[in-house]
Amino acid sequence: MTEPAEDMLSRLSKALAARAAAAGPLVASVAVRGRERLSGTLWRQGLVVVSEQALPRRFDEAEVRLADGRRLDARLAGRDPATNVALLRVGEAAAPAWSPAADPQPGALAMTLGVDGAGASSVRVGAIRHVGPEWHSRAGGRIDRRIMLDLRIEPSEEGGPVIDMTGGLLGISTLGPRRRLLVIPTATVERVLEPLAHNGRIARGWLGVAVQRVTVPEELRAAAGQTEGLMALAVAENGPAAAAGVLMGDILVALDGTGLTGMTRLAGLLGAEAVGKRFALRLIRAGAVHSVEVTIAERPSQ
Amino acid sequence: MSTARPDPGALRLRVAVVAAGDGVAARLAARVVESGHHPVAAGEPCDVLLTDGAGAAGGVPAVAIGVEADDFAGLLPADAGPAALDAALRAVAAGLCVRPAQSLSPGFAALSEEPAPVLTPREVEVLAALAEGLGTKAVARRLAISPHTVKFHIEGLFRKLDAATRAEAVAKGLRRQIVEF
Repeated sequence: MTEPAEDMLSRLSKALAARAAAAGPLVASVAVRGRERLSGTLWRQGLVVVSEQALPRRFDEAEVRLADGRRLDARLAGRDPATNVALLRVGEAAAPAWSPAADPQPGALAMTLGVDGAGASSVRVGAIRHVGPEWHSRAGGRIDRRIMLDLRIEPSEEGGPVIDMTGGLLGISTLGPRRRLLVIPTATVERVLEPLAHNGRIARGWLGVAVQRVTVPEELRAAAGQTEGLMALAVAENGPAAAAGVLMGDILVALDGTGLTGMTRLAGLLGAEAVGKRFALRLIRAGAVHSVEVTIAERPSQ
Repeated sequence: MSTARPDPGALRLRVAVVAAGDGVAARLAARVVESGHHPVAAGEPCDVLLTDGAGAAGGVPAVAIGVEADDFAGLLPADAGPAALDAALRAVAAGLCVRPAQSLSPGFAALSEEPAPVLTPREVEVLAALAEGLGTKAVARRLAISPHTVKFHIEGLFRKLDAATRAEAVAKGLRRQIVEF
């Protein structure tokens, strides 16, 4: 006998509620300075992941309330604006067991959990509207997947867990441009978690230039091997580029053999592993292609 | 409740104060006076409401102070000064929305590639000189090229940036992405 449609909907509804209840213990309610309310994800024992951009620039202490009602004093363990991951240390609070989500599929359902401005729990269900390859944030951080959700959340809900319909953890919710909801994937959080917990920050390579994309003059395209490059509009005093003799107006065309045809190319070359490396930098100056050696430094903290 | 519009000639607005407690209401009323306006009791005819978030706005545009709730036309931080309060009360009474500038978070965004068409190095140099307010001859002297060539590059900038004037080209050109590495 086929079941009436209402029963299917009611089963779906109950299944969603069960998923929300199962993921509930992951949610942390974070009060900064006693009033600003944020969401967090109890990621590991004693560590709550929050959205870096949602945290005040400076704060001394926070209070974390877990799903079981326990209130814990929290201290900032580290923050990384480039991946939007910040870590709060909350004593010995045991984290619930979770498993990472499988590959997300566009159109599949996802659920965000968090707290509203008053600290009450908030659950939303929506479709995964877009899945793309890895990308680089404005601050140069590598984000393992582009996952966008067809959901709107309040700012207080940012930083809470996002789960798929098997209950797997997709990552933490993050507000993108025009308050569109994207996900910082579990793999990205896992990658920065240890170094953040140990050092309080994530090292990144630093060249010490401000650049804009420009076309390579036609007569130099053959020598440069490309049609576009990055023009240095400012060179930081005492920066690696200045030390290598880079001047304002130089067009950077390649670093360590990789053509600098866009910002993303350069961002990809300046990860933590680049710090201390000596790279060949090809550049155009006064109508000729030159090569200089540059030693990548660690990006100074802002 | 009044539907009266603020008289453009009048310096003071009637501001109804709606707060959870009398103490808070008195403090808000004092701030209304500081901002140059006239506090009235909740329920009296007014041009705009000022609330600590307690009161429902009920049709009259309201400025909420120290709360974050999108259902108020005006939102001010708890420590807003008299000038900010004055500006917010006037704007909201005039039917506009007010939000603190720092609440406009740009959001976590991708490092996007600059939109096509990409400028040439010369065009970037000419644009930088124009941004400093230099005229054609001065730009030509600085870059050691002829004024005719400068004009040629400016034409190129106008075309690529879809600008009709030098000021527009500078404004649009400066918005192009410059990234620090």
